[in-house]
Amino acid sequence: MEKSFDRRLESLGAVFAFLKEASTSFELDQALTFSVNMVVEELFTNMIKYGASGGREILIGVDKTASQLKIKLIDFDSEPFDLTDLDAVDTSAPLNKRRPGGLGIHLVRCFMDEVKYEYKDRTTHISLAKNL
Amino acid sequence: MFEIERISDTEIKLAGHFDASQQETAAAVFETVNVAHTIYFDELDYISSAGLSILLYTQQRLSAVGDALKLRGMNPHVKLVFEYAGFDQIFDIA
Repeated sequence: MEKSFDRRLESLGAVFAFLKEASTSFELDQALTFSVNMVVEELFTNMIKYGASGGREILIGVDKTASQLKIKLIDFDSEPFDLTDLDAVDTSAPLNKRRPGGLGIHLVRCFMDEVKYEYKDRTTHISLAKNL
Repeated sequence: MFEIERISDTEIKLAGHFDASQQETAAAVFETVNVAHTIYFDELDYISSAGLSILLYTQQRLSAVGDALKLRGMNPHVKLVFEYAGFDQIFDIA
């Protein structure tokens, strides 16, 4: 299943509605449904924050095979930003050294088994997989 | 749907789906937190890094005056987010 959404925070409600539909269709349990919501929100909001200011849409896709849950996000008008190349968040740092930056991508890595990034012709293609 | 309710001078209840679109609503309440508080998560189904950021800022602000938040009643999915973020080491969670 896939659907395109306007590049703005106000689209989140429609994004979650789509993910609910996908979770029902693929019969995902509560934990998997939670994971899908989490990773898509983090990547979608990241694309809004750091992507181009143009009005292009972002495509979100969810699919399930016998062994994996697969998620993709495609941003058709974006600058290169390789989220797989970011420094790891220090989750053992003391409170006064903690910063929220990077937490979202850190959570995506924790919740998924595979995170792939491709950039070509101004298009960012992020593919995620969770082993079932 | 997300709800945030102040239930006493030192207690706040969260409910529903705490995503990035709710950040301003939640921040408006947490900005009023200037002493130790207990935050009830019993009815909260979902939280993302947007919610974690607000809690982190609040905890850092309280820490400067020797106070802290207590987080109570998380469901296992929400608790896992806190654990993955390493927030179980900087918050009192039970």
